[in-house]
Amino acid sequence: MRSVLTAFIVCLFALAAGAAELHPPAQVTAGNSITIATSGSGDATFYLIGQSVASKRHVQAGTEIAVDSEQLERAGIYTAILCASDGCASANFVVTPAAPNRLSFLVHPSRVPVDSPNRISAVAFVQDNFHNFVLKSEAVKFSVLPKDGKEISATRNSENGVAWVRLSSAKKEGPTRLGAEIGHANEIRVVQQVAADACNLRIKASRAKKDFLVETDPVKDCSGNSVPDGTVVSFTKVDEAGKATVDVPIKRGVAKVELPVDGRAKITVASGVVTGNELEVAGGQ
Amino acid sequence: MMRKILTAEFAEKTRRPRRMGLRYSSILALLAALACVVLVRELRVLAKENAPRVQLHADNLGPRSIEDLTSKSIPRDYALAWQTMEQALEENRPGLLDGYFTGIAKQDLTQRVHSQIKSGLHTRYQDGGHKLEAIFYSPAGDVMELRDRAKLDIEIMDGGKVIYQEPVSIEYTVTMTPGADRWLVRELQASGGVKP
Repeated sequence: MRSVLTAFIVCLFALAAGAAELHPPAQVTAGNSITIATSGSGDATFYLIGQSVASKRHVQAGTEIAVDSEQLERAGIYTAILCASDGCASANFVVTPAAPNRLSFLVHPSRVPVDSPNRISAVAFVQDNFHNFVLKSEAVKFSVLPKDGKEISATRNSENGVAWVRLSSAKKEGPTRLGAEIGHANEIRVVQQVAADACNLRIKASRAKKDFLVETDPVKDCSGNSVPDGTVVSFTKVDEAGKATVDVPIKRGVAKVELPVDGRAKITVASGVVTGNELEVAGGQ
Repeated sequence: MMRKILTAEFAEKTRRPRRMGLRYSSILALLAALACVVLVRELRVLAKENAPRVQLHADNLGPRSIEDLTSKSIPRDYALAWQTMEQALEENRPGLLDGYFTGIAKQDLTQRVHSQIKSGLHTRYQDGGHKLEAIFYSPAGDVMELRDRAKLDIEIMDGGKVIYQEPVSIEYTVTMTPGADRWLVRELQASGGVKP
């Protein structure tokens, strides 16, 4: 019943639209001005409805109506309506994206441990100058620009306006620049590569007055990069008094702590899931 | 005999208010039932208007696979985005767009509402539902691209006069990004449209 009613209303509109007609181009590239031919005569009102526009102005039916490029920057479906004394006529037309010349470039994460395979993702959304998605396939050049290394690049074709790659981090810590390029657009993002988990964690103990001073060797990852200051190292002591754990942040590359010991004691060290060597000491010796 | 007549009259007098009471209560019950029917119908209409029907298909989604929670949030939040957009364009209230839109989509729609206000226009939608297909979910889970095939009856009004009315099927390319407690529409670009 509803569709019949709708069809009836549409027919009424079509009949009413018989006198004045609009002839916009079927397809327009974003950011271009157009003229719309009209038929009929007398005073009329012209409306242009689009994604970001809803304008109204008085025109003469039967003349060509100019539409500014500024009104046609956003891609999508536009409706042109001409209302004269004898009714309203309308026509739809499509504004398609212009040439790709802009990228919305997302890189994650901003900090990544060294030597992590496929840990970095780079996603580029292909757009024209007016932020419209360019949906047809376009080649996007991704590049990695290490601090003191040679540029590595790869090209990916966009699908539905998106191109993306997965990248592995280098073995050496430090910032690296990732780029994506299309047309005149060249977007750069910086990813900080930081040391991975500690590797070969070792401690040594020495006497300090009544207590023992337990200290790590310089804490490094498996690629030889210094683990950043602030990373927590846990020292655990088991002696006659029981078990005690002390968490200490790395300072200037090492972690150290003074531990009181009753009788014989075992001291172990760990950082995250990595464990180090074990020491046996005796208090009072 | 006289006594019998008196008793009958008395009985008749006592029955009459009872009958009247019964009559009124049955009318009241009938009215209440009628009101219930109308209310239920209105509520159904309201529910229909409040939440456009959105069906999400994520079978061909990649490179990241969709999480259970996300597969529920996306159609819910997209439906609410359309609901607020339709209301904003009908009532010319740009503030309604704050809830479910961000970035260029919000900028475009806000501009549209402001130019509607300037021109004295408003747009009314009859939402026939959305078939939403998720086509790209970034590896970091921070953006999703979708394709929406929407069926709409669009009515544009200048003041109280209808200047355009048409049922349309429009294909939109949509990007959504996660916000604090919901997914937000960042891009809504009509990429194709056909008359049904």
